[in-house]
Amino acid sequence: MGADVKSGAKKDNSKFIMTLLKGRTFIVLIVLLVFFSIVNDKFLAVTTLTMLAKHVALYGILAIGMTFVIITSGIDLSVGSVVGLVGMLVGGMIQEGVTINSLGVTLYFSVPVIVVIGLLVGCFVGWVNGLIITKLNVAPFITTLGTMYICRGLANLRSGGATFSSIQGYEGLGNTGFKVMGSSVGIIPVGAIFLLVLAVIGAVLLRKTAFGWHVLAVGGNEKSSRLSGIKTDRIKIYAYVISGFCAALVGMINTAQLAAAHPASGDSWEMNAIAAAVLGGTSMSGGSGSIIGTIVGAFVIGVINDGMTMCGVSEFWQKVIRGVVIILAVVVDQMQRNMQEKMALQSRNENK
Amino acid sequence: MEKMGGFWMKKKILSAILGAAMVGCLFVGCGEEATDTAESSAESTQAEADDTAGEASAETSTAELLPGGGSNIIYCITPSTSNVYFKTVQDICTSEGESLGYEVKCFSHDDDAAAQSDLFDQAIADGAAFIVCDNAGADASIEAIQRAADAGIPTFLVDREINTTGVAVAQLVADNAQGAAAIAESWVDAMGYEGKYAELLGLESDTNCQVRSENFHSVIDQYEDLEMVAQQSANWDQTEAYEKTEAILQANPDIKGIICGNDTMACGAAAACKDAGREDMLIIGVDGSDDAAALIKEGRMVGTALQQIAYITQLAVQQGDAYLNGTAPEEEKQLVPCIAITSDNVDNLSSFVYTE
Repeated sequence: MGADVKSGAKKDNSKFIMTLLKGRTFIVLIVLLVFFSIVNDKFLAVTTLTMLAKHVALYGILAIGMTFVIITSGIDLSVGSVVGLVGMLVGGMIQEGVTINSLGVTLYFSVPVIVVIGLLVGCFVGWVNGLIITKLNVAPFITTLGTMYICRGLANLRSGGATFSSIQGYEGLGNTGFKVMGSSVGIIPVGAIFLLVLAVIGAVLLRKTAFGWHVLAVGGNEKSSRLSGIKTDRIKIYAYVISGFCAALVGMINTAQLAAAHPASGDSWEMNAIAAAVLGGTSMSGGSGSIIGTIVGAFVIGVINDGMTMCGVSEFWQKVIRGVVIILAVVVDQMQRNMQEKMALQSRNENK
Repeated sequence: MEKMGGFWMKKKILSAILGAAMVGCLFVGCGEEATDTAESSAESTQAEADDTAGEASAETSTAELLPGGGSNIIYCITPSTSNVYFKTVQDICTSEGESLGYEVKCFSHDDDAAAQSDLFDQAIADGAAFIVCDNAGADASIEAIQRAADAGIPTFLVDREINTTGVAVAQLVADNAQGAAAIAESWVDAMGYEGKYAELLGLESDTNCQVRSENFHSVIDQYEDLEMVAQQSANWDQTEAYEKTEAILQANPDIKGIICGNDTMACGAAAACKDAGREDMLIIGVDGSDDAAALIKEGRMVGTALQQIAYITQLAVQQGDAYLNGTAPEEEKQLVPCIAITSDNVDNLSSFVYTE
């Protein structure tokens, strides 16, 4: 009898801990927000939050695409370079147009066409990544490392290394208005709107559609999902295309915000995206993860960055703290998994 | 065994053919160079002859001059050309070198000392006449430069110094200290000697970052009413400067000015201030890039300190040419003054070249 009560209490206890563990990233986010609001009285303001959303949008969107890829137990290192490449292509198309030498004409496209071309370039890079990984059986790490260098090189080649500055378009050519992607609607930055829309689409896609279930299945056990009739190659390719699409969008938002395209833009941003996904509970071995978790993870990184900048903490400490947070997140993630297994085992034993 | 032997024989023959082909390629390469620049190579052999003759008599007192690697190729090794500044080094080196009859090969070490070391090996293997280098680290580069010197190839450093003398033939650098102080003075005037400001630092492990910051403050700190309320590193990067500036503005909306370690960051800061409706912000940078010049013309930046990198590179190539002809530069460390660029003289600036 006594033992029964004890085990019951223990069960409740571990259930409570489980809930805490599951919501850990969110709890960390709340703690960080409270902490920075106390340290800096200007932190808890609407303008700060919109600024935060604007900064988070850049690698948050990258992280959404990255989450899909990581769930298929892949990795996409090329996203940072795609940001740079698409930024340069779009900046170039607005500033210089596309010259076709054989015809001797220079084409200037309108902004919507340019945006579509930019997105297609991102999708194309993702598609190539996916093809090489699935059809030629090259490890995702190696493939995307390769495309990372290729895209960075191409970004530099576009202008011979120079920056496209003050990108506004020309009234006469009818290609003005690109700046919209980097501006605000009321007080809400356009980047944050994109983040919200993509997060909703991504979450629905992953949780409510057959495609999403297939992504999770492929990451969980590729062989058995192939045997159960899932077209694993196609699912993987789509995941990389999504990642490329997100990267292209970020490239354009970044270019619009700065009104300048720099070939080194997006350097090492893939690391921020991976960190956000991991913080949000996406498993690097694939098979599990959620978009909402990723977004919360991205906000944790964003709050750390902006909060510490506003409090005047040096860049060096910011890096150290970011690293510690990422490792802690994975440690807690492992604890949760172990605990889950233990509880599953326990309940199985009790049912016997 | 027979079969094995045959296989090895085949392999030997194959390698011999390959070897011959490679050597052939080398000769073809040399032949092309020779016909392209027959005159200049003739000149340089003439010069070398003079050199050896001179060494016997007049040059005995001074240190022995390095002969060069034998070819007439200038190796130009710089950080990544995604920064216009370093692109200018390569462009000017190419144009100046070619006008003096050299072939110029340009490479980037991407601030990686190991990659730079490989490039130096390549230059040695190629028998470069001399090397123009914007190095990848004040200490990490010494060994590579020494290796080139051991192979008889003189190195002319531009833009960044190394922590030793006697290894490179010349170290031509912009006077960062004087430049930062000069533009800080213009900025202090614009600020009206009072108010709050923020500072964006470059990569904090970079010597230039420290020198610039110190000399900004050597001027600014003389005025008690100028108060620095935020100091952050933006790693020389435009997007990072943009985001950091937004965060700083959020925490300190009352700042009047921002001092930046380079123009790239100044451009990022200016973009953030424009978005925040603060086009009155008084921003300065260092470099003298065309992007900064455009912002100065628009009145969105106070000024920048032009490092005369085009002139420095030109000087390095000319000294390299003179050196191979027997005249070593008088001093190894040469400081080239910076010019403070403000709205008064910004029209004289174009692609890092200042014309009076």
